[in-house]
Amino acid sequence: MSTAARIRPRERDALLQSLRAGVVPRLGQHHVQVGRAAELRALLGDIERIADGGSAIRLVVGEYGAGKTFFLHLVRNVAMEKRLVTAHADLNPDRRLHATGGQARGLYAELMRNLATRAKPDGGAMQSVVERFVSTALTEAGTAGADPARIIRDRLAELAQMTGGYDFAEVVGAYWRGHDLGDEQLKASAVRWLRGEYGTRTEARQALGVRTIIDDGNVYDHLKLMARFVRLAGFDGLLLCVDELVNLYKLASSQARNSNYEQILRILNDVLQGSAGHLGFVFGGTPETLTDTRRGLYSYAALQSRLAENSFASDGLVDLSGPVVRLTSLTQEDMYVLLMKVRNVYAAGDPAAHLVPDEALMEFMRHCSQRVGDAYFRTPRSTVKAFCDLLAILEQNPGADWRGLLGGVALAPESNPDLAPLDDPGQDDGQDSDDDLAGFRL
Amino acid sequence: MTTSPDSASEASRAFDRLHPGVRRWIWEQGWHDLRDAQEAAVAPLLDGDADVLISAATASGKTEAAFLPICSVLASAEPGPGISALYVAPLKALINDQDERLEGLCGGLGIAVHPWHGDVPGSRKARVLARPSGILLITPESLEALFVLRGTRVAALFADLRYVVIDELHSFIGIERGAQLQSLLHRLELAVRRRVPRVGLSATLGDMAAAAEFLRPRGGDGVRMITSASEGQELRLQVRGYVQRRPVPGEERPAPDQTSAVAAHLFRTLRGSDNLVFANARSKVEELTDRLSRLSERQGVPNEFVPHHGALSKEIREDVEARLKDRSRPVTAVCTSTLEMGIDIGSVTSVAQVGAPNSVAALRQRLGRAGRRGGAAVLRVYVTEQEVTGDTAPQDRLRAQLVQTIAVVNLLLDRWCEPPDAGGLHLSTLIQQCLSLIAQHGGVTPAEAYRTLCGKGPFHHVDQRMFAALLRDLGAARMVRQEGDGLLLHDEEGERLVNHHSFYAAFDSPVEFRLVGDGRQLGTLAPVAPPVPGSLMIFAGRRWKIVAVDERSRTIELTASSGGRPPDFTGAGATVHDRVRREMRRVYESPETPVYLDATAQELLAEARADYRMLRLHESPILAWGGDTLVFPFRGDPVMTALGLALHLDGLRFEQSGIALCLSGVSPDDLLARLRELVMSAPPDAHDLAALAPGKTIDRHDPLLGEALQTAAYAARRLDVPGAWQTLKALTAAGGGSSPSGR
Repeated sequence: MSTAARIRPRERDALLQSLRAGVVPRLGQHHVQVGRAAELRALLGDIERIADGGSAIRLVVGEYGAGKTFFLHLVRNVAMEKRLVTAHADLNPDRRLHATGGQARGLYAELMRNLATRAKPDGGAMQSVVERFVSTALTEAGTAGADPARIIRDRLAELAQMTGGYDFAEVVGAYWRGHDLGDEQLKASAVRWLRGEYGTRTEARQALGVRTIIDDGNVYDHLKLMARFVRLAGFDGLLLCVDELVNLYKLASSQARNSNYEQILRILNDVLQGSAGHLGFVFGGTPETLTDTRRGLYSYAALQSRLAENSFASDGLVDLSGPVVRLTSLTQEDMYVLLMKVRNVYAAGDPAAHLVPDEALMEFMRHCSQRVGDAYFRTPRSTVKAFCDLLAILEQNPGADWRGLLGGVALAPESNPDLAPLDDPGQDDGQDSDDDLAGFRL
Repeated sequence: MTTSPDSASEASRAFDRLHPGVRRWIWEQGWHDLRDAQEAAVAPLLDGDADVLISAATASGKTEAAFLPICSVLASAEPGPGISALYVAPLKALINDQDERLEGLCGGLGIAVHPWHGDVPGSRKARVLARPSGILLITPESLEALFVLRGTRVAALFADLRYVVIDELHSFIGIERGAQLQSLLHRLELAVRRRVPRVGLSATLGDMAAAAEFLRPRGGDGVRMITSASEGQELRLQVRGYVQRRPVPGEERPAPDQTSAVAAHLFRTLRGSDNLVFANARSKVEELTDRLSRLSERQGVPNEFVPHHGALSKEIREDVEARLKDRSRPVTAVCTSTLEMGIDIGSVTSVAQVGAPNSVAALRQRLGRAGRRGGAAVLRVYVTEQEVTGDTAPQDRLRAQLVQTIAVVNLLLDRWCEPPDAGGLHLSTLIQQCLSLIAQHGGVTPAEAYRTLCGKGPFHHVDQRMFAALLRDLGAARMVRQEGDGLLLHDEEGERLVNHHSFYAAFDSPVEFRLVGDGRQLGTLAPVAPPVPGSLMIFAGRRWKIVAVDERSRTIELTASSGGRPPDFTGAGATVHDRVRREMRRVYESPETPVYLDATAQELLAEARADYRMLRLHESPILAWGGDTLVFPFRGDPVMTALGLALHLDGLRFEQSGIALCLSGVSPDDLLARLRELVMSAPPDAHDLAALAPGKTIDRHDPLLGEALQTAAYAARRLDVPGAWQTLKALTAAGGGSSPSGR
């Protein structure tokens, strides 16, 4: 444990802000990382394989709040350190792997909006990637004394051979022309095309002279093209983190679900056969999403046989070489360590500035467990949020006693904000008795 | 603009508040003034902060009353992305019609008008989805489909929503489709995160408060009412009587069939125009269409008469629907009342009703289809009564069918209408809404579903315990399943149901039972009274004893029973309201003859009144007939059923035959004694009575419910125990003297 290390104020504030808002921090995750060493090692292996020209796919499976999203972010950070380009997106009903109503393009656009590199870890790195492609070509032309246009054409020829690559190459070529002629409009149009933001072919043709756009039918092809392209731009590969696989599982139409699973199968086949170079996928989902035979990934027979877990890996034995990585819930001990780390972040790494003693951590955990039952350590999100709130009060009110405050800690169950009742003064009947159904079980 | 200076200033003020483009359109129409409802609607709608209920007769400019101010607001406002006004109508034909009318008004103002229903091409819908704006005209079923198929987009699609207009509001009140509409509007407001003013357009009803309450559940008091004083459309009405002679044994030629006479009259009067003919049973629909098409064939003219009911095969039904849609040739649809919502035919020249109508609401609804656009509404009712012979049952001698018709028509003319079923639980529609909510949000937790639909929503009669029981029943029927975190999702069966387009409709033909008598299949029937084993029932002109009821295969097993000749008219397959039965008694006891009866019907009414006096029903409602005892409470079916079940619990065999309760094997005096005993005891619990009755599935999804919930729903809807006890008191008080035999 690196508790002695000082934490920079910028990192500390960003970290605490994210934790209190209940979202995964973008910076400094390692300060609050608990456990998962073996899993992280397995993913590190994947990243190295991608950098070597291989490909990888992982399904990170864990219960709600087990820390899937956190884990995915951690993997992304590692990948960026290893000179990969990363992109991440949450699946939702409007962002799917396969669709006919623009939802697949929605997913592509979201991924490309979140394209990140080490220099631009917060996303929006599309322009800089293309820029880097052009500048490396220029450098090469400079050293070799060749015509930069030719160098670029040679490099793009490689892309043009792939499915849908001709227009992709055209667009990158248009960017180069814009760069060469100082036409900012053309450059912006090219980046816009690459981000999948053109809705109609007519618009794209007027702006760039290409006949196709990135739409629902060719999203995966363009992800493969993008992987090859970042390689040409001097990066080592592309890692795509697609979270909330459970939203495919929740799709009400079985037909829509199956076509999405079919897309996953296509990716899986390509990756396992090695026909997609420098490309990696990490999916995050709940156990049902994977194993439910009626609507989960296992409902698609071809996926079930490919994703079936090693039957010997049970009773504490693990096999992390298959595509499925299971994240177990945090244990009581993990939770304790997590709270300690949060306390440490609050004190900016200075043990002398700890706001509460160790005893308070135990007391806090006991309080939460009484309030919510053992579910509290299955959902670290709300527990950590409540703990941060408690520390915030103690920090700003130096006289306050943590024992007195503990009773006021409330953990709210998460619910769908779209279904919250509209404000209706004078009609508060029935609101208090919701508890009957909160614990309802079929 | 009008002659009176007072109203002129008032009128011009309302007129001046409208958008210049709207005013120009009014000038172009050549209107001299705004109708009273149109004027009164301007201020509250322009303010846009309250719900408004506009009631006026058909063809008195209700649509304009709503849309002149709404279009004024939309024309002067910055058109935001999203639909600005939603118009919900019960019929596709009505939507097509309104689309054309609104196009004229909105075209000049730059407001887009989009019709949206099953027949609108997908490309047009895609355009609306890409650039939503203006006014969307939709049916409740298509709105449901939007929620199910595009649940996540609903909020964005309606982001700019300012008004919801519901046309033909009265046609939604008190039925499953109305409950569905209320739920959809509630979910729509949740999606856009604010209340949207609702504008109801309705025919004038007796109880407008109920309509206001329907428009804004639990907020009816705040609804602004605008009632037009202008005379409505002309109503031309005739009730035609027919007498079916009984075949005399030994006579060579059978008596002329009166269905042919009815068919011949229909053929003569309806050919060459668009009409709707309603009959109370499928068999009657088949019989009539058969006669009508044979008449066409014999006369060598094209057949214009098409049947429409729930049991038609898909191919035939699609052909019929295509025929109805093609308005280039005249067409008359002959249909049962149960699927009348499914008959998407716009305005027709006239409406005919064969057999007694069951309810005022249904008759008004049907009448509303006739003669839109200012023409007179024409209604013909055909009633066939049996010839009275020595063994004719008292119910038939009383001409119950004709008198029920007169009662319903009288109430219609009085502008009364059955109030919505306030206690109705609408569990069938709640099931549909639960499944739809799951599809919309990709899963909901039980607490969220309860809060959305029941606690603060339209199904507030359902408490948490009942909702939990409903979810368990759905789980058992493999409709929903629950995830580890409590989220409800569709299970296998639920998925199959939701993924089929028929899911969007809340209405369906009622559940029918197959009747098997002594090993022979007799036919099908949707029973009004519960088929309690041991009790009697009349079918195909014979009296049967119910041996067993199999809910699963929907079969009632019967065996022939002795007894006198049963009555011909035993109700028409739907519950009759208390008020209608009371009006029937008044018709018997009053001397006046309605002007709308033809000569035969007048004769029949005079006979009925004579028999009523002869049976001394005005003195005692209990009389002996054959070995049975008949009770005439003149109360609605929920009271009659509760009474019958209470007597069944008391060990008596009962049979509900139209206006009378028939009890076998007991004399009037014995019965009276038992009734006196019964009235002293405490009334039974409605649930206990309902538990006795098999065959409680009434609405579409009712079969998914478990026994307990079916019983609860049945008790709430079909049983009136306090009413039954009140009736018992009246019966025991009136039936003092022993009554004479009916023979």
